[in-house]
Amino acid sequence: MRDSFADTLFALFAVFAPLSLLSFGGGNATIADIAHQSVAVRHWTSEREFADLFALSRAAPGPGSMLAALIGWNVAGVAGALVATIAFYLPSALLLFAAAKIWGHWRGSRWHQAVERGIAPIAAGLFLSGGLAVLRASPVGAAMWLAAAGATAVLLWRPKLHPVPLLLLSGAVFGLIDLFGGTL
Amino acid sequence: MMGDQPAMARIGLPTIFLAFLRLGCISFGGGTGAWVYREMVQRRGWVDERGFLADMALGQSLPGSNGIKMAILVGRRLRGGAGAFIAGFGLLAAPFAIILAVGAVYGRIAHHHSVHAVLEGVAAAVVGLSLSSGIDAIARGTPEVSSIAIAAVTVLGVGVIGWPILPVVLTLAPVSIGIAWARSRP
Repeated sequence: MRDSFADTLFALFAVFAPLSLLSFGGGNATIADIAHQSVAVRHWTSEREFADLFALSRAAPGPGSMLAALIGWNVAGVAGALVATIAFYLPSALLLFAAAKIWGHWRGSRWHQAVERGIAPIAAGLFLSGGLAVLRASPVGAAMWLAAAGATAVLLWRPKLHPVPLLLLSGAVFGLIDLFGGTL
Repeated sequence: MMGDQPAMARIGLPTIFLAFLRLGCISFGGGTGAWVYREMVQRRGWVDERGFLADMALGQSLPGSNGIKMAILVGRRLRGGAGAFIAGFGLLAAPFAIILAVGAVYGRIAHHHSVHAVLEGVAAAVVGLSLSSGIDAIARGTPEVSSIAIAAVTVLGVGVIGWPILPVVLTLAPVSIGIAWARSRP
């Protein structure tokens, strides 16, 4: 029993650590692989359970990749959740830290500044693209675009405004419309 | 220490931890990178937008969850290795606890259709967070025609057409860096 528990923890680590290094473009890039591993290969969850855990991981705050924690929890309790989370975040974090350290070495040189200056508009474009990607993937159409445009305007108009009240307002409006039979 | 902090009082590790712990509690709806931008650049002013965007481009070129990558890089700018660790740990700690707690109740509320509608509404506002961060970042950097064009091509490729990020960044980066290099010629 003890051994099989340790084996399970090791298996969680063996599945999530490599995915950590493959998650280019963010945690979402690996969802298909996580589904394949946990449903077909390891039989940690049924297909339905996986869909539920995925929806749940999106309903909670923080980085969306809490999916790893949920699967670990499903398989081996809190220890499983811890192992899966560490395995999913640590390898990419170490790689990033090493890269930043090497990059920081050339700080102040002319080409370093040119790289930072040249990279900035691409990063700004990626912010905008991230928002558009969510809009395009949403099952809700015009209402989503309208709410997103309104939130954008308010956040630009008041740069120090805390975003949480805006989120709650938008969530409440959508919920009320749905509750009173409106279609979004 | 890194020589890259802005000229301001050193921010203590507990302060950094609490700031990211708080971000972890409230950053609903994904787009954690935009949450970090809003809090660290726009609201607190702990890092400037150029440093943040440079870090973001470095982070986007490497694997990993975007929010955590930005926490690590901002933490590193503020207080080196200890700052990076404390920021990443702070951002993860609360969601980790919350997700396990929410897991216990979700089964009972998931069948309500309105729950999904509320989540969609929250997600819509978070889209606003991403869009406003992008527009703010462009407006803060000296908005030259070339950098606006580069940003527009990025949006077209990644956001509209849906190309993967890595090849787009690798193609545009040399062009954009070349323009910046030519401009900086003394």
